[in-house]
Amino acid sequence: MNPVNIRVVPHEPWYRYGVACLVLEMAIAIAVSAYSLYMTFNGLGGFLGKH
Amino acid sequence: MGTHKVEQLVIATVGFFWCFLMWFSTAAFSPSIAANYHLTIKDLGLLASSAIWMAPVGRIIAGWCSDRFGAPRTFAAILAGCGLMSIASAYTTSYELLFAERVIVAIAGVSFVVGIQHVAQWFDSHEIGTAEGLYAGTGNVGAGVGALLLPRIFGTNYQTAFLWLGVIALVVAAWYLLRGAAAKTSERRNAVRRRSDAHGTIFVWTRFIAIALMLAYAMSFGLEIAMNAWLPGYFTRGFHDEILALGFTGVAGVQIAAGSFAAVESFNASLFRPFSGFMSDLFQRRGWTPLPFIAKELPYAPRLHWLGIALILITLAMIGLTLAGLYGSLHWSVTVLVAFGIFLSFGTGGTFALVPLLFPDRPGIAAGFIGGVSTAGGIVYPLIFADSANIHMGYLFVAVYLFVPIVLFYFWAARYERHPEEHGLFIAQRA
Repeated sequence: MNPVNIRVVPHEPWYRYGVACLVLEMAIAIAVSAYSLYMTFNGLGGFLGKH
Repeated sequence: MGTHKVEQLVIATVGFFWCFLMWFSTAAFSPSIAANYHLTIKDLGLLASSAIWMAPVGRIIAGWCSDRFGAPRTFAAILAGCGLMSIASAYTTSYELLFAERVIVAIAGVSFVVGIQHVAQWFDSHEIGTAEGLYAGTGNVGAGVGALLLPRIFGTNYQTAFLWLGVIALVVAAWYLLRGAAAKTSERRNAVRRRSDAHGTIFVWTRFIAIALMLAYAMSFGLEIAMNAWLPGYFTRGFHDEILALGFTGVAGVQIAAGSFAAVESFNASLFRPFSGFMSDLFQRRGWTPLPFIAKELPYAPRLHWLGIALILITLAMIGLTLAGLYGSLHWSVTVLVAFGIFLSFGTGGTFALVPLLFPDRPGIAAGFIGGVSTAGGIVYPLIFADSANIHMGYLFVAVYLFVPIVLFYFWAARYERHPEEHGLFIAQRA
């Protein structure tokens, strides 16, 4: 592993796409969390249908 | 062979995703298998727990193999072996044989440490957190995707699912073998291979900082897989009346509600993991070292602080889960669970943003020890939770009696300002 000074070394091009990918993954997690929280208040009213 | 580190990251991530899919595919079809073979609840519990049996020892061996033989060969062997066994299990008519075959397929879960070693051999210190986070977080989603999609695609026909999972595993194994390269440079590859001896293994296992990271990973990933198994039952029993009050009726309705609430932890713990690696990189780039006692001058000191913060947050979230449960609030419990899942990802991502930097010459051995032994937490925590007289109190017991001492040990082991890997039992100096 190269001993580089992380505070000055610039990010490589791939890093931007990597960050975009992790933001997308977080958005999915937030959507699942929001749906589950919505379910704790409204119970039956989800897209999974009535149970 | 011309290649790029992003290609190696993609190969490792796809390989790990498929291994995770195979690892938990048995659980996704457990109702169908139970109906086919008339299994009891006890049989189902045994089948579910068998998924973790091979992980502790298997990951230790796989980590050593990746250092010795290179990640592509090791990963391809795991994919091919588990794929062939998955295909065989598709044609099995005896439950005993199917059980044994699925235990062998579950070896796919050991591939985690091989990919960690592979990514560490290609990415530099300033981007290692994000790279390892993307690999592990995206791969971990395979478990959730399997649970969501496999039953919808294949219905109750688990035999066809096992067949296709195995066939595609063979294709991925061939791709890994053809396009995978063990390290960015031959110097880096040779340095790792030379260090993969018994002395090197004992050296890593006896370092205080390695033990602290192993315990940190037991607090995060060990707890994550424990909660995956524990939470549906917890919500079903701990919030039964609240779930019924929401309009869910019957066993199937309560199971769907409990499963949806429990999924919050699994999704957040997996999908926020790349963000945790990114945060570790950000701490490093900005030089943030806010915690007392922990080293501030080490080249990777900010990453130690990020992990320390994660461990404190996990402990607080466990106490929060108990308080929300005792208060009887389903809303608060799920809200705390959202934060809890995110904090778990901080711990898992923060740990493996550090491991390759602490043991750059033995990434596989270190990943095997830290990622392997810690999975025993997946077996231990549910036993403690289930042993509590009040179902909500188990989180508090674990937080106070296990996590507080682990956090204190972590602070103690991470206090050295120079070469923390030189401090340990038996061997005083760097091997």
